[in-house]
Amino acid sequence: MPDSSSGPAVEVDRLSFNYGRQKVVDGLSLEVPSGISFGLLGPNGAGKTTLIRLLVGLLRARAGTILTLGQKPSPRIAHLIGYMPQLPSLYAELSVIQNINFFARIYRLRDRRQRTQRVEEVIKLVDLWEHRNKSVTNLSGGMKQRASLACAIVHNPPLLFLDEPTVGLDPELRVHFWEYFQGLTRGGSTLIISSHTMDDAAHCDRLAFMRDGKIIALGTPDELRQATGQAKATLEDAFLHFVKHGGVNENAQ
Amino acid sequence: MKMPSSTLTIAGRIINQLVRDLRTIILIVVVPLVIASLVGVSVPDKRILDYTAPAILAVLILFFGFLLTGVSFLRERSQGTLERLMASPVSRLDIVGGYLLGFLLFAVVQTMVLFFYLISVFKVNYYGDLWQILVFQVLIGIGAVCMGTFFSVLAKNEFQMVQFIPMIIVPQMFLCGLIWPVSQMPEYLQWLANALPMTYGVEGTRALMLEGQNLLDIGKEIGVLAAYAVGLLILSAITLRRGKG
Repeated sequence: MPDSSSGPAVEVDRLSFNYGRQKVVDGLSLEVPSGISFGLLGPNGAGKTTLIRLLVGLLRARAGTILTLGQKPSPRIAHLIGYMPQLPSLYAELSVIQNINFFARIYRLRDRRQRTQRVEEVIKLVDLWEHRNKSVTNLSGGMKQRASLACAIVHNPPLLFLDEPTVGLDPELRVHFWEYFQGLTRGGSTLIISSHTMDDAAHCDRLAFMRDGKIIALGTPDELRQATGQAKATLEDAFLHFVKHGGVNENAQ
Repeated sequence: MKMPSSTLTIAGRIINQLVRDLRTIILIVVVPLVIASLVGVSVPDKRILDYTAPAILAVLILFFGFLLTGVSFLRERSQGTLERLMASPVSRLDIVGGYLLGFLLFAVVQTMVLFFYLISVFKVNYYGDLWQILVFQVLIGIGAVCMGTFFSVLAKNEFQMVQFIPMIIVPQMFLCGLIWPVSQMPEYLQWLANALPMTYGVEGTRALMLEGQNLLDIGKEIGVLAAYAVGLLILSAITLRRGKG
């Protein structure tokens, strides 16, 4: 079993991917240290979701290399990874608890008592306890998003890929999610989160600004804000600064 | 050989999903009966019905098995759960095997309901052993589930899957001997008919029901259907590869 506690969680070297003739990820290099929350930030079409799907192993790179937890993405390390796709991706006819229990079993939580305990724990965490026996069809968009997150974290993975996890959440729940995410990183887990909202970006330990399949800037939120040269710059200002100047800041490779 | 637990988990989930969807369950049972009834009342001669019923049975099992599995598998893709499964530790064979096991249960239920409906309501005669006829129908059901899985893996959306029905099922209906004996077709059509699984399903069912033969007598039909099922199962798992893109 790979050691997930030391070394970078993800290493990407000159990665490229294209759909037909359209280049979606373009010679991208990246290193994500273990135990942090890492945000992929950029507009729609920047290549965030494709990058996550490459890192999870759902797509095969056209060029370049990927090491996830020190290994090429494969089913061998899939139990160490949690993946929350952009769409809720749940079984509509099943209840919340049945969905989460299914993924708990798929992710090898074999002991029935431990599994039941963990499933109940994550349902409470995403604040769906009162709705646990409802069919997914009868849930609101935000509730589906929460149930989807629960399916991704039920096996306590050391590396978690979350594709736009806070879409559709109310502000209170968003804060709750981020408290939980920060708790996970304190416990040594690594989170790679894609988002296009600056609110999410501000919570991340490190950020990569993405545009047209490339990383245009990389650093902590403070470093990226300071790179604009403005005293009160927001992350939005920082993003626009790097888009306008087209350069890569000194922390990016 | 021990069944992988992920296969059983996936099969259990499929059964759970369908059981919670009452309308679908009703349709699974009622629609084949409606079609069988239409055939039953529209055939004026009882002897013709005796000859046609085995073919109708085999064709309907193949058709509904294909349809049910194909559409369900495609839903798994369109609602994003297939992607989630592909990112998990389960193997492709677990996924395809889980589908086979899960839908097999419904194929068996459909087979039983159709068979007993035809023999009790339309008094269709049969001369073979009941259990042998049912075992062979289950084999046709397995083939149908494998075929549905394979073509839904190939289809990228619902529209493409719907196109596979006239492309894959309808020619088999015309060529399997349901309407006209295969031996009286032009030679090139006979060659084509003999390459299609439904032909063997119909011939095997007729041999069991009309001629009173047993499973050992229809070894060729069983062999061809089993080879189709295994081949399509393996092809489905290959086509459903991780890292596709």
